[in-house]
Amino acid sequence: MVVHRDQPSLHHVDVIIIGGGLTGLRAALQLSRAGRSCALLSKVHPLRSHSVAAQGGMNASLGNVPGTEGATDSWERHAYDTVKGSDYLADQNAVVRMCREAPATVIELEHMGTVWSQLEDGKIAQRPFGGAGFPRTCYAADRTGHNILHTLYEQVTAEKIPVYEEFFVTSLVTAGGRCTGCTALEIMTGTIHGFCAKATLLATGGFGRIFSRSTNAIINTGDGQALALRAGASLKDMEFVQFHPTSLLGSNILISEAARGEGGVLVNKNGERFMTRYAPRSADLAPRDVVARAIENEIAAGRGFDGGYVHLDLRHIGEERIRERLPGIRLIAMDFAGVDPVTEPIPVQPAQHYSMGGIDVGIEGQSGIPGLYAAGECACISVHGANRLGGNSLLETVVFGRLVAASIIRALPSEPVPADGPVLSAVQEMEAKVSGILGKSGGEQLFTVIDSLKETMNTKFGIFREGNSMEKGLAEISALRERAGNISISDKNRAANQALVRYLELEYMFPVAEATALGAIQRKESRGSHTRTDYPARDDDRFLFHTITRNLNGKIAVSSAPVTLGMFTPEERVY
Amino acid sequence: MMLKVFRFSPGMEKPRYDTFAIEPAPGKTVLAALFEAQSRYDDSLAFRYSCRGAVCGTCAMLINRVPRLACRTRLGALSAGDSDPPHSHYDLPHLTEPWDKKEEVLVEPLPNLPVIKDLIVDMDEFFTRYRSVEPVFRPGGPDPEKERLMTPEAVRELERYTTCILCAACFAACPVNGKNPRYTGPAALAKLYRFHIDPREQQGPARLRTADTPDGWWACEFHTNCRRVCPKDVPPDKAIGHARQELKDLKKKETGPGGDGA
Ligand SMILES: Cc1cc2nc3c(=O)[nH]c(=O)nc-3n(C[C@H](O)[C@H](O)[C@H](O)COP(=O)(O)OP(=O)(O)OC[C@H]3O[C@@H](n4cnc5c(N)ncnc54)[C@H](O)[C@@H]3O)c2cc1C
Ligand code: SF4
Ligand code: FES
Repeated sequence: MVVHRDQPSLHHVDVIIIGGGLTGLRAALQLSRAGRSCALLSKVHPLRSHSVAAQGGMNASLGNVPGTEGATDSWERHAYDTVKGSDYLADQNAVVRMCREAPATVIELEHMGTVWSQLEDGKIAQRPFGGAGFPRTCYAADRTGHNILHTLYEQVTAEKIPVYEEFFVTSLVTAGGRCTGCTALEIMTGTIHGFCAKATLLATGGFGRIFSRSTNAIINTGDGQALALRAGASLKDMEFVQFHPTSLLGSNILISEAARGEGGVLVNKNGERFMTRYAPRSADLAPRDVVARAIENEIAAGRGFDGGYVHLDLRHIGEERIRERLPGIRLIAMDFAGVDPVTEPIPVQPAQHYSMGGIDVGIEGQSGIPGLYAAGECACISVHGANRLGGNSLLETVVFGRLVAASIIRALPSEPVPADGPVLSAVQEMEAKVSGILGKSGGEQLFTVIDSLKETMNTKFGIFREGNSMEKGLAEISALRERAGNISISDKNRAANQALVRYLELEYMFPVAEATALGAIQRKESRGSHTRTDYPARDDDRFLFHTITRNLNGKIAVSSAPVTLGMFTPEERVY
Repeated sequence: MMLKVFRFSPGMEKPRYDTFAIEPAPGKTVLAALFEAQSRYDDSLAFRYSCRGAVCGTCAMLINRVPRLACRTRLGALSAGDSDPPHSHYDLPHLTEPWDKKEEVLVEPLPNLPVIKDLIVDMDEFFTRYRSVEPVFRPGGPDPEKERLMTPEAVRELERYTTCILCAACFAACPVNGKNPRYTGPAALAKLYRFHIDPREQQGPARLRTADTPDGWWACEFHTNCRRVCPKDVPPDKAIGHARQELKDLKKKETGPGGDGA
């Protein structure tokens, strides 16, 4: 049900869901089917959420395709690969939960109507993916996110769940230490709305767009992480940012790992298949961090092409298979680089891709603030640790969208009905704030500051990190924050004012960037995606812990929390 | 290279056109050019965006009077004149602004939908039609323990329609939508057909009957603009043709060979 404009600006529901990607939609379904009233808020139409772009697939040990020598897959093997891939930083209780739920989750989506690619025998097809010991990734050609997101949106539409489209959440409201709701800017009219609820679920996705090179949708600015931080919740492991090895040169649109899963190979300027040097056993299918570093190394050693890229060669796969298995990738290469992979190699370079860190939540999805929950990419329940395996995050969104909604349902009967007062005054505060922003005349350019911040993050906190350079980066972030105080927007209208939205997003980007930077500076080791040239080895004695960042008197303070180990003991990661 | 952009905000008597100079660069898209105009010249310029990779369906607009995705349309290709998908003429009486095809790229909001601001249209009417076909999976029987089996061929046929990103380019390009505000429109009909042919549903003709009305399957005039502008190669016209044929066959069967209802 689409909520129409000009409704009263104070709304009451049991649960607010912020985010209309896979996580938010799956949670909404669960809540609605349990008879709970909810409001789903999204800054874009749910179908425009970043989840729609996921290409490669979702991991589950269905065992539809046998492994080498006829071995069958199991959730334990899936859990082992995930923990090893995480460089032992994942919380193993969360990993176990996710991997056990995986097969039923894929099947459930099929039962809701998702069209998966099929094997000749009619079962759901599975393909090999980086870092996995089995062909475990279920897929829908290379439009997996699209197919699942449309299915869940169809279900949510049929349930008539109220969807507040193009509502930009501007603050979380806390009263007596509890989260009791939020405020949101209705983008197309400029009206500020208030929402009161017993529980609020953040499902706002990743923060890739604080980096200048990112495969993420332009809207992924880390709003949820910043909202949580401001409300007093903690963030966890923010320094672990995944860089995907293969993004299209220029636009940085993702060229999925599926291209390598189907047999594509990386080649340097000299025509060499260099991955066999870096990962003798798994070569092009080594985990992402390994491949991304290898490409950066090749480029740094002068073996990349001018402009900083290498080639991804699919030609030997053949036209028929490319058309059948990788049609989306072929279209992307043709539309955005003018290259047909059937006849030419694709120019690729690494780019930011995924946020392993996020809002610090426990196994039930609860943050440190009662009434505030988080799930999906914005959260860090820690199933990915220091490095996520491809195909595990779509799984995370649907599994924990459901499980966290279920834990909210269990908690609701004992949650107090919140008073309107705090939300109403938050609406007034936001009104004043927006008028203030539109009234400013500082002369600093909004878009220049955004671009500079993203460039700083890319150059100082990218694939290779080093102490001194990161300290400089942190100083740059602070200086930019000063400058941001003088930004003025020339559009003074309230309705459909995108500069205003960008301004509010920039305010979210700063604390997220700072938390990432501080986490990266204090972690003096290399683990998973976090590579320090000054501390090249993993250091379990000093750093086998989660990094916690939170607001303390207006400043971000860093501390640590233990990792939940379990079935698997840390060992060296060799591929 | 110049970008000539339709501008409108509530309160304006009629729209105006602004022209922005854009740095030429190989591969630059219309969406990138709009961002450039917004950040360099006028931050009040309004347009929707999200994925910038032609997968989310947000950025459909009228570019050189053809509905297309701004993020997928390259400026260079437009000025070379080689990327206009041929489509049958349709009337856009409210859009008369001339433009210099060699020097300028003309950007306007999608027709057949009300304009909110500049290039942003109100998509409610499009999604109302989408909802009208009840687009949700209705399984033919109770859920099995595992997945329902489907042949790769069945999946291939389904995937021609599931790839729709609901961008509304077809809706904007359809002359019938232009003159009949009750017409269900190509995208919603293609969606309906997707469920009809899903082998897991087994609804018989029930799905087809949802749009067995003068404003449903039967309103289409086969201009086929929908298929020609579709960025995902969805063929709504084919779906409509097949659906009509099936309905005709059904009616024949129902009335018997002699047509006397025996
Ligand atoms: C190109 C690409 C390909 C990928 N492919 C795969 C893959 O093959 N397999 C896999 O497992 N993973 C993949 N991933 C990762 C995966 O897609 C994401 O982790 C996942 O989709 C995140 O889902 P989500 O529901 O948590 O968030 P999102 O889908 O990002 O949704 C976030 C939602 O929050 C809303 N929101 C954000 N801020 C606000 C605000 N201030 N106010 C209101 N609403 C707000 C947005 O509107 C949106 O609806 C891929 C990622 C990328 C970048
Ligand atoms: S059928 Fe094609 S043009 Fe029409 S909404 Fe779907 S993707 Fe867009
Ligand atoms: S921005 Fe997503 S389709 Fe163009």
